[in-house]
Amino acid sequence: MIELDTIKPYFEGKEDVLGEILGRYPDYGRRSAIMPLLWEVQRAERHVSEARLEEIAHIVGVHATEVKGVMSFYSTYHEQPVGKYHLQICSTLSCSLAGSDEMFDFISEETGLVNGETDGSGIFSLQKVECLGSCGTAPVLQVNDTYYERVTRSSCKELLDALRSGEMLEPPRERGGDNEGAEKPKIGSEQRVGREA
Amino acid sequence: MKVKVNDVELDLEPGTSAIDAVFAAGYDVPYFCSQEYMSPIGACRMCLGKVGAPRKDRETNDWIRDAETGEPQIFYFPNLMATCTTAIMDGMVIDTLSKEVRQAQSGMMEFHLINHPLDCPVCDKGGACELQDRAYEYGAGTSRFEFDKRHQEKHHALSELITLDRERCIHCKRCVRYFEEVPGDEVLDFIERGGHTYIGTVDEGLPSYFTGNITDICPVGALLDATSRFRGRNWEYDHTRTVSLDDASGAAIMVDARTGRIERVKGARNTQVNLDWIDDSTRFGHEYVDAPDRLKTPLIRKGALLEPASWEEAAQFIASRLAVAGKRVGVAVRSDATLEEGVAAKALAEHLRGHAEHFPRPAASVIAENPATFTDVATSDAIFVVGDPTEEVPTLDLRIKDALRGVAPPELLAHGVPIADLRLKERMPRKRSILTVAAPYRTNLMRHAGQELIYPAGQEEDLFGGVGSGKAGASLAAEQLNQLKSALSDAKKPVIILGAFVLASAAATRAAEALAESVGAKVMKLGPMANSYGLEALEVTSDGGYADLLTQSDVLILSNLNPAQDVQIGERLRNLDLLIVHDSFETETTGLAHVVLPAKTGYEKEGTVVNLEGRFLNVYPAPVDSGTSEDFIGVVRTLGEALGVRLDGRSVRSARRSLAKTLNHDLAALPEEGLLAPVDAKEIGETVADTVAGNLLLTSSLLKVDRLRRNPKLRAAHGDVALRVNPADAEAQNLEAGANVTVNIGGVARSATIKITEDAPEGLMLLPATFDQALGLTSAEIVPAADLVSA
Repeated sequence: MIELDTIKPYFEGKEDVLGEILGRYPDYGRRSAIMPLLWEVQRAERHVSEARLEEIAHIVGVHATEVKGVMSFYSTYHEQPVGKYHLQICSTLSCSLAGSDEMFDFISEETGLVNGETDGSGIFSLQKVECLGSCGTAPVLQVNDTYYERVTRSSCKELLDALRSGEMLEPPRERGGDNEGAEKPKIGSEQRVGREA
Repeated sequence: MKVKVNDVELDLEPGTSAIDAVFAAGYDVPYFCSQEYMSPIGACRMCLGKVGAPRKDRETNDWIRDAETGEPQIFYFPNLMATCTTAIMDGMVIDTLSKEVRQAQSGMMEFHLINHPLDCPVCDKGGACELQDRAYEYGAGTSRFEFDKRHQEKHHALSELITLDRERCIHCKRCVRYFEEVPGDEVLDFIERGGHTYIGTVDEGLPSYFTGNITDICPVGALLDATSRFRGRNWEYDHTRTVSLDDASGAAIMVDARTGRIERVKGARNTQVNLDWIDDSTRFGHEYVDAPDRLKTPLIRKGALLEPASWEEAAQFIASRLAVAGKRVGVAVRSDATLEEGVAAKALAEHLRGHAEHFPRPAASVIAENPATFTDVATSDAIFVVGDPTEEVPTLDLRIKDALRGVAPPELLAHGVPIADLRLKERMPRKRSILTVAAPYRTNLMRHAGQELIYPAGQEEDLFGGVGSGKAGASLAAEQLNQLKSALSDAKKPVIILGAFVLASAAATRAAEALAESVGAKVMKLGPMANSYGLEALEVTSDGGYADLLTQSDVLILSNLNPAQDVQIGERLRNLDLLIVHDSFETETTGLAHVVLPAKTGYEKEGTVVNLEGRFLNVYPAPVDSGTSEDFIGVVRTLGEALGVRLDGRSVRSARRSLAKTLNHDLAALPEEGLLAPVDAKEIGETVADTVAGNLLLTSSLLKVDRLRRNPKLRAAHGDVALRVNPADAEAQNLEAGANVTVNIGGVARSATIKITEDAPEGLMLLPATFDQALGLTSAEIVPAADLVSA
């Protein structure tokens, strides 16, 4: 709250953005705007600070605790600024069975980071997250908004090296997956049948 | 609707939940997340049952029947159902005893205990813990979880009053739902998710007046009352169900005492009054009872000093002094004295040919013509509040919020209050438009009101006149007032609530009653203290009132009153022939007294009070060690013995015999909900010229100012007495936030801390009154506290 007095509110002078977001929902559902507002702030500032949280609570007319509850539920929102490449490792069942723990250990060793940490130079952040909804292509590593599926030790190493040099690799998609622009798997195709058998 | 639970057939109302059907049938299922008066959510999955119902054939519209027996065939749900979120259907069959159900319940129990530390031996909840009981009844006794449990904060202070043990929490969500559903202050929420979920807040402390209730509803030892933590085990406490004497609601409380000391106060259930909820002052404001400076023996003045004596010596001393003293005798008791004490006071005054009185007593009668009950408020469709119920009668604040949800209090079932009332939902829309709150300043309840009217203090009569006539009044636009009047007239069950500022003026009260009559509204009057209603009904009143009694008596007998707080009155009391003060602590007045008699607090008395609805409620004594303290009945008994008379009210029984004659009720052992028997309305009161100017408004306060010093936990949580000042005034008068000042009101000097807030209107400061200060507008002078020290 002290911060609010000294920091300029994010939505000050952005009435058009605010109006657009709030306009998506009926008046009684104003609370629904919490998510897009959080996203708006995070996209601009790479995290949502406590002052911004209070600001959003005030805009939506709820208690700041509720905004915090929503924000903390999703691992996509960050309280601290994350690095340039945010490495998110799915640790839910399918990925876990497919070796996401080993992948985490490998990345942790490679980058020297523990869960939730950002390195000093601000390149990598490492985080274990819950299900990314891509169980069929486990284990999954999400870098910023891009999915890398069926990650192996060598492909992981390759990816990290590329990222270090500032290059985002195009995720291999020959086996389908839910990434935008990816080919949808043909149901009943030979591959699919093969896998089930 | 016909339902069959195991082997018991029942006929229940549609809309009843399956869990209530199970309990109504006399069977049991475990549950942690459901809670009476709150929405069922099916979070804990403990109340599983095998549920089925017959189905109708679409073509024949007849039950599909079993081929062999010809009975309607029961189609079971494919999975076991959480009975708390399942509504009953006609012909429903619920099975809670089969092996399948038991196995599922025991399996869920194992899940609940996975991260629970099982530190029952050091847990305050041990012995009264739902999780412990249910684990014993339904658990497997062993766990297959051989890994490390989740470790989290064990002593997280959510506020000064509530400690959270995050390891013990089983995420039933009762506390989170409570804050949203009952007081409407969403100060707690789940943070994180999945296995990392914990209860938290981004606030400092919990900014609500009703936080303590979460310690009652927590099914485990996660949320604990900080005043009672580590003080005793449940089975060591003496539980006394009684009534809170802190305000006029008559809220039911459970006083837990151990070895003569009150360790904690919990909410108790009165389905007609407070449901299960009490405010924080009622819950945590008991520490003063055990303050080290409590008076425990009578004191007799010998020269400049008061010396300890026995009750007999004190009574003899009083008898001998009465023989030579002047003949004008006044007896006054505080308005939280019981009816029985009122009888005693009247009998004593009568015997001494004097007058009896109670204080505080507003200018207008607190007994309404067409009285509203709490249930009337909770089911009303148009409520007009003038005053600040949150501070005056906190229970009413919650019952008004019940009305906003628009769900009437549930009908009781065979097992009592429904465990899962399916009409209640999380985040129900609130009908704010039915509530209009008017006050001279911004009140807490205004946050929930559809319309808020802030009028200049002292203009209550104009306000009601304006609403009645539809003309502008009390600086409010005619349009607003007209809108309010039509809302009240159109409503089916309108209620008008009159707070202290209205009752302070007989003219305003008369205008309010006239408005109520014209719109057909019921009236609820917020009397200042627990038994204001009863003492007025009993006519413990005198023609001249308390002020005359103080100035025109030779002998004064005061119970729990401290008029000498005002130095000008103190000077007059100095000249009395005899001043007898009955109080629990030393005050300015005991300093002038010839005899001081130790008084019992509200937790130690036996008797009856009448709440603001006209509901007679029994008060029971908790076993508290208070030396030789007596209530006013004891004073009259001992004095009667010394004077050689047997006065009415020398014992609770004798007082009740007398009350049975005057009020026609037998007050021994009333039911838990009390006896609702409003008395006929009295004359409203004489109209005297009201004070219409002043710079300070003395307000009611939920936190009892007089006791705050001896209630350290409450004081730590809510701070010292605050003088609320508008920012513009603060700047004009050069007052700084947090500065300590002395507020001189007539002869009374009060210390307070400046709080700068928009709640106070410009030109008006707000200060909570002590028990001995009349509420309303007055003039005050602010002196920096530092100056006082140097002078």
